[in-house]
Amino acid sequence: MKPWKVATVLGLAAFVLIVLVPFWWIATMSFKTYEQIQFAQSIYVPRPFTWENYTSLWLETRFPLWFRNSVVTAVVVTIITTVIACLSGYAVARLRFPGREVVATLILVLYLIPPALLFIPLYRVLAELGATNSLIALFLAYPTFTVPFCTWLLIGFFKALPAELEEAALVDGATRPQALVRVLLPLAAPGIVASAIFAFTLSWNEFLYALIFITDETAITVPVGLNLLIYGDVFHWGQLMAASVITTVPVVALYMFIHRWMVEGLAAGSVKG
Amino acid sequence: MLVVGLIVYPIYRAVWLSFTDKLVGYPERFVGLRNYIYLANDDAFHAVVRNSFVFTVSSVALKILTGLGMALVLHATWRWRNFFRGLMLLPWITSTVIVALTWRWMFDSFPGRGFFNSVLLDAGLLSRPLAFMATPEGAMLAVVIANWWRGFPFFGVSYLAGMQSIPGELYEAASVDGAGSWRRFWHITLPGLKHVIIVTTLLTFIFTINDFNIIYVMTRGGPGTATQVFATYSYEVAFNQLRWGRGVTISIFAVPLLVAGIALVSRYLLRERTA
Repeated sequence: MKPWKVATVLGLAAFVLIVLVPFWWIATMSFKTYEQIQFAQSIYVPRPFTWENYTSLWLETRFPLWFRNSVVTAVVVTIITTVIACLSGYAVARLRFPGREVVATLILVLYLIPPALLFIPLYRVLAELGATNSLIALFLAYPTFTVPFCTWLLIGFFKALPAELEEAALVDGATRPQALVRVLLPLAAPGIVASAIFAFTLSWNEFLYALIFITDETAITVPVGLNLLIYGDVFHWGQLMAASVITTVPVVALYMFIHRWMVEGLAAGSVKG
Repeated sequence: MLVVGLIVYPIYRAVWLSFTDKLVGYPERFVGLRNYIYLANDDAFHAVVRNSFVFTVSSVALKILTGLGMALVLHATWRWRNFFRGLMLLPWITSTVIVALTWRWMFDSFPGRGFFNSVLLDAGLLSRPLAFMATPEGAMLAVVIANWWRGFPFFGVSYLAGMQSIPGELYEAASVDGAGSWRRFWHITLPGLKHVIIVTTLLTFIFTINDFNIIYVMTRGGPGTATQVFATYSYEVAFNQLRWGRGVTISIFAVPLLVAGIALVSRYLLRERTA
């Protein structure tokens, strides 16, 4: 082999190890018994292999409830986001109205404002609306970051579609809403699916707002619940690892589905780091 | 409109709150600049500013370097490139809370849980477990590594896309002219990546200087104030000490920096969109 091939293989191996070792460490620990973890036995591969962390997590903790809350929040936020982002993305990409550029800039700026700046005042606003301590707070708060992001993404997708198709539909007597629903949306479907999956992932992973807006232990989402498990009962390490694995799997599955689109979106320089 | 309202109204409230001595349960009272003056003379806050910069600058620098390495390696990969690219993006799509918990366990001082202690003890390189996260430097290193690990794949993939858009003829011409691989990298690859490097650095700077999740989950800002940053300190003051006015003021201190970052990155991204 040529030297550059050897270097490439070594480099690849190094990066694959850096990425996979932490995942592998968590996954193996989730299949170890309490004793195996406590006494540092069979550190590299769990022997014997046990499912007890998964069964006890599911039967003895509130994890199923938190999981349900996370799913409900992510689905509701994804639907709200997709509807608003399709309409506003279309408006900015296609309709001619004064101040269009200003709106586009505003959307980008809104997306760049970090939640860490907004959490205290947003908490007060939601408290005044009586929306804290229930998932409704998250339904209202999450679109503040998912909508600007998905709109920004969809403006790009809509602009990339040829305008002639839509004009042809308008000439044939379709109204604008008809042209949007029948012609443009089906064509933009890959972009819309990608943006919906982004909205889902962002909501699924969100932590700061969920931590602050909800204190009732039956209404919290998985990331906050994980944080409770760690301080609530220090000894259930295996359960925590199992919970991390269960929480990561749905996102990885979705991601494998959109990997190609996601990389294209990334290439456009439009994604949070 | 509703979404704009949910962002703009809180910003207005934030600025107003920063001029009050709002304590939870008491009505707010206008105190002018007192919160700002208090923080400007507060040692804990000075540590927070310093930590935020150490945390942000070192993680961003690490991400740029390893991101370049990752992009070069992937660019040279001749088979299964998409597969490896997908695999390396995994840390970036994982929830930051889980990333933080994972690295907390990697660095745990208890051998059965901590990866580094387990492996080093098993290999006989250590005689007793090291408490990495109990020292200020160790804790800072741990949060920087966790942040780096989650973020570098984004840099790598962005740089790779940038490298793939550099025309191959440039390299061929340079080779004909006798340029070695190092000079080709320095004079063609790096200038070609300038735009994407600036955009990813600015974007990441904006989000890292305000990071909450990784630090809160891994160290809660400790030991002492060794890893306390803007967002975690603001949370601590607002929700544990219940001083909302002061809590908001802490995050407002980071605003001038953010405005500069946001203005720069918007200009770059909008230019790209219209080009």
